[in-house]
Amino acid sequence: MIEFKNVNKWFGKLHVLNDINLDIDAGEVLVICGPSGSGKSTLIRCINRLETIQEGEIVVDGVPVHDKKTNLTKLRADIGFVFQQFHLYPHMTVLQNVMLAPVNVKKMSTAAAEKISREKLTQVGLTDKAGAHPAQLSGGQQQRVAIARGLAMSPKIMLFDEPTSALDPEMIGEVLDVMVNLVSEGMTMCVVTHEMGFARKVADRVLFMDFGKIIETGKPTDFFDNPRTDRAADFISKILTH
Amino acid sequence: MMAFYFSRIVEIFPFFLKGLWMTTQIAFISLFTCTILGFIFGILRSGKNIILKRLVGVYVAFVRGTPFVVQVFIVFFILPEWGIQLKAFQAALLAMAIMGSAFICEIVAGGISAISKGQWEAGTASGLTLIQQLRLVVIPQAMKVILPPLVGQYVLLIKDTSVVSVIGVMELTRVGWVTVMRIPEGLMVFSLVGALYFVISYPLILLSNYLERRMAV
Repeated sequence: MIEFKNVNKWFGKLHVLNDINLDIDAGEVLVICGPSGSGKSTLIRCINRLETIQEGEIVVDGVPVHDKKTNLTKLRADIGFVFQQFHLYPHMTVLQNVMLAPVNVKKMSTAAAEKISREKLTQVGLTDKAGAHPAQLSGGQQQRVAIARGLAMSPKIMLFDEPTSALDPEMIGEVLDVMVNLVSEGMTMCVVTHEMGFARKVADRVLFMDFGKIIETGKPTDFFDNPRTDRAADFISKILTH
Repeated sequence: MMAFYFSRIVEIFPFFLKGLWMTTQIAFISLFTCTILGFIFGILRSGKNIILKRLVGVYVAFVRGTPFVVQVFIVFFILPEWGIQLKAFQAALLAMAIMGSAFICEIVAGGISAISKGQWEAGTASGLTLIQQLRLVVIPQAMKVILPPLVGQYVLLIKDTSVVSVIGVMELTRVGWVTVMRIPEGLMVFSLVGALYFVISYPLILLSNYLERRMAV
C-alpha cells in the first residue's frame, strides 16, 4: 500500500531521512517511535507529500508521490491526516469542519456530506457537538473532530502525527479509544506516537527511528521486551521510567 | 465683504457638488479596483512563487517609496510617450489603482501571514486545491486581521484623490483652486472643500473604529 524505496531527504545540512526502505501493507497498523528530531514526523508527512523528498521513490496505492508531476489532490483525498496540534478550522463549526472536504474535494451534495459527517462524529462520540466551534471544545474533543474530519473522506489510509502529544493526560484515553476502534475496522494506519500501551495493544509492527534512519522494526512485544539494539533499549527505558 | 463672498459661494455651490460627485466617483471606482488588485497582489506576495513574490515586492517598494503626486505625473506624462493617450480622469483612476493596490497588498499579505501554516496543511492534507485553501480556509480567517486596516486605508485613499487635481481633473480640490481664484477667500473656500471630504470619509472612519473594536474581541 505504501512503499518507500531508498528515500533520502535533507533539511539544509540535516539528513532527516537517511536511506529509508519501507513497505506498509493494506490493513497494517504501523507505530513509529523514536526521539524528537529523529525524522518520524517527516517520514509520515512524506506519504501525502506535505514534505517533498530529494532522492528515492515513494509509491502510495500505485501513485508515485515522489514524482513532482503527480497531481496529489486525488490521493490526498484518500489519506486522512491527523496533526499533533489538531489544526481544526476555527471559523467553522465542528460539522462544517468535517463536511468541508467531502463537499469541496469529493463534490458530494451538502445533504450526503452532512449525513456521512454526522455518522463520523457519532463514531468519535461527538454527535452533540456538531454545532459547536472548535474553541468551545477540549483538546481531546478537538482531536476527535480532527479524526472524524479525516474519516469523512472514507480514506484508505489514516496517518497520525503524535495525535496525543498536545493533550492533557486525562484526554489521551478518549483519543486512543477512537483509534483502537479504527484498527478494528481494518484501517491502514501509520501512527507516530510514544503511547506504548496503544502500540502493544494494536500495532502490527513498531518502527524505531533515530537520526533519520530506521534502526529497528519488529512486532511490538519483541521490540519492547527484547530490543535488539542498545539505542532502542535506551529509548524504551527512558519512556517507560516516566 | 465676507457676507458678499459667502453669498457668491452659495451661488456657485452646485459647482462644488459637481466636484464632490467627481471625487466620489474616483474614490469608489478606486476603492473597488484597489481592493481587487490589492488582494491579488497580497496573495501573490504571501505565496510560494519566488519570482512573482519578488516582483510584487519591488512594485510595492517603488509605490511606497515615491510620493503619490509624482506617480500621478508619471502616469499622466509617460503613457503618451508610449502612444497611449489617457484622459485626465482615466489617468487619475490608473494612478489611484497603482498606489492603492500596493498599500492594500501589504495589508492583505500581513493578514494572510497571520494564519498558521497548520491551517494550510490541514487543507492540503484533505485534498483541497491551493485556491480552495485560500478561499475556504485562509482568507475567511485573515479577514479579521485585514478588515480594520483595510477600511482605514479606504479613508486614506478617498483623501488621496485630492492629489489628482494636479493633472486637471475637476474634482473637489480642483474646484477649490478654481474658486479661490475668483473669490479670494481661501479659508472659507477650503473649509467648505474640507467639510465635503469629511462628509464622505467620516462614515468610513466610524466603520473602521467599529470593526477595530469588533475584531479585537
